Amino acid sequence: MKQIKASKINELHDKPGRKFYSKFFLFIPLFFISFSGFAIEVNELIQHIDKLWRGETSQATMTMTVKTRRYERSMTLEAWSRGKDYSLIVIRKPIKDKGIATLKVKENIWNYLPKINRVTKVPSSMMSGSWMGSHFSNDDLVKESTFEDDYRSSITFEGKRDGVNIYEITSMPKLNAAVVWGKVVMQIDQKTLSPRIALYYDEEGVLIRTMTFDQPQKIGKLTVPMRLSLQPEDKPEESTVIIYKGIELDIPLSSSFFSLQNLQKRR
Amino acid sequence: MENNISAFSQLPMLIFIAWRNLWRNPVRSILTISALASGLIMVILYASLLEGMTRQMVRFATEISTSHIQVHRQAFIDDQDLYATLPWSYMKKIEQNFPTIEIAPRLYAAGLASSKNTSTGVLIKAVNPKREMAVTKMLEHVRHGKLDLGIADTTENGFARYNLVIGAQLAKNMNVKPGDELVLVTQAADGSIGNALYRVAAVLKPLEPNFDRMGVLMSIEAYQQLMYLDNGFHELAIKVNDMTQMDNIQTAIMEMLNKLSTSQPLDELGGKPVVRNWRQLNPAVADLLEMSKAFVFIIGFIIISLASLGMLNTMLMAVHERTHEFGILLAIGMKRRWLLLMVLFESFFLSLVSALVGSVIGLIINNYFEEHGIDFSQSMPDGYDWAGMVFEPVMKGYLVPIDLVYACLLMIVVTMLASLIPSWQTIRLKPAEVMR
Repeated sequence: MKQIKASKINELHDKPGRKFYSKFFLFIPLFFISFSGFAIEVNELIQHIDKLWRGETSQATMTMTVKTRRYERSMTLEAWSRGKDYSLIVIRKPIKDKGIATLKVKENIWNYLPKINRVTKVPSSMMSGSWMGSHFSNDDLVKESTFEDDYRSSITFEGKRDGVNIYEITSMPKLNAAVVWGKVVMQIDQKTLSPRIALYYDEEGVLIRTMTFDQPQKIGKLTVPMRLSLQPEDKPEESTVIIYKGIELDIPLSSSFFSLQNLQKRR
Repeated sequence: MENNISAFSQLPMLIFIAWRNLWRNPVRSILTISALASGLIMVILYASLLEGMTRQMVRFATEISTSHIQVHRQAFIDDQDLYATLPWSYMKKIEQNFPTIEIAPRLYAAGLASSKNTSTGVLIKAVNPKREMAVTKMLEHVRHGKLDLGIADTTENGFARYNLVIGAQLAKNMNVKPGDELVLVTQAADGSIGNALYRVAAVLKPLEPNFDRMGVLMSIEAYQQLMYLDNGFHELAIKVNDMTQMDNIQTAIMEMLNKLSTSQPLDELGGKPVVRNWRQLNPAVADLLEMSKAFVFIIGFIIISLASLGMLNTMLMAVHERTHEFGILLAIGMKRRWLLLMVLFESFFLSLVSALVGSVIGLIINNYFEEHGIDFSQSMPDGYDWAGMVFEPVMKGYLVPIDLVYACLLMIVVTMLASLIPSWQTIRLKPAEVMR
């Protein structure tokens, strides 16, 4: 059973190397089951989720709506990414903020501000600060790169919840890892392998925020939720909602695309 | 009765003998006098320096940036809530109703400042220079550069570049000097990224540790363009003309604001308006001022008591070596209480001369302290901070005349109490024994 699912993930991603392995696995299925257990499947699942919006490389347009008790604002963003380490995000609308761009390379973030025509590096003291006034922090962008290194994940539940067959992945921080969350729990639809909800807990085990994924759409062979809603638990009236308008995966983008020069040019 | 009358008639005589007795052993008396006088000088200087310090403290607590009374919204006091503003109409109303006070509105925000080489988190403070000058001396404390919060020039894409004034430590940490460019990036009130270029016009002298380390001062216009927050102010600093009227004005403003918030309601989230005076704003300083008076008394009492031990020793010696003489005096009919009175007069003269000498020398040294002070500027050029306030490196004295009188009285009372012991011995003398 497990073996078949793992190969299903591989097929979806259409990687020649993986295909070879999955065929190879078919020859010795019994062997594999006895040795691998859940471990590989968890990693495969996590990699699958990672690739949903990003692929190897991606270009996406999205709107981000931030609702707080003080203001509500909507932005149209264009984003490029390559792997987990490189991303470039540019604001297209509203006019006032047009051209403001964020470049992430590994654990560094730079902002480009067209009004003053300056690139500023976000210092470590400001990492926990809000990104573009949303409920995402700069850390959320950065920690994404090191999530797999910082957390140990395992499948903690498999079965029906709210009438849907799901996998529940629980990620706990590794010892000595500098992390923000004490526990992250994600539910994934077994059929489409798309995430449904992610819960972020602090070190005391208190739920801090909830991310819900919906409006799934077929992109190639993948089912990708097009709407991501982030809800901080202490402020029920506030939220940040990202709606993907279009995603192109695996387009040619070299890592030199993610340069400080391009940060200014892409506006 | 008759005895009492004669005792009083003998008073000039007794005083004369006591005075003469004092100078029978001039070296011993002078040594005692100098010990007591030095004690008094120390008390005078201690009182003077402490008073000077507390005066400097009150001055710094009010004149430099706090002013006498401040008005905020509760949410701003609690967590510096950017949106907890009081509307401009409130300020106009306060100005109309209280013509004798000076008021200065202020706005605050947190941001990120970047120079060519470094970036650091800063506290943005916005003021109206003209009003601020009338309320506090904050803007006069310029160390380098020229104070200017107006528009310096315009950038190539047509935005105004405002002048800024920054804190001393911040300038040092960021290696910024007047004329340099500074970028401020912050989250504006509408959630967008507030960003603008500025020119550093001046660096301020140390005011308070927080501002020195991360303070950036700009005009309210510059703030409104950066923060998109123009519906009000965070803080209203108020200077009253007559300090004795401060408490009355504080209650009157509170009453007026309460009335205003029923006729022009404020939003729920920002909380109620709160009016506080400088004592409530700086409780550490206010408590210290209360305590300093008690300090002077306790320290003075200890010093004088120690010096009085010297006098006690002198008088015990003087009585002891004259027991034979006292015996004869008693034998030929001198009343014991006259003897007691005479010894007391001797002590009194000792302390009186000491008080005179001590006051004169104390005043001379104090005069120097009041003019020049004790200068620490070699070792601490930026002054020192204490209880969240920065002090000048020069410690100056200030002697309140009544303190001098109190110090002298304190010394005379303590020495007189000490002299009761030797006087008591004269009363218990048995003439027959001591004359043997």
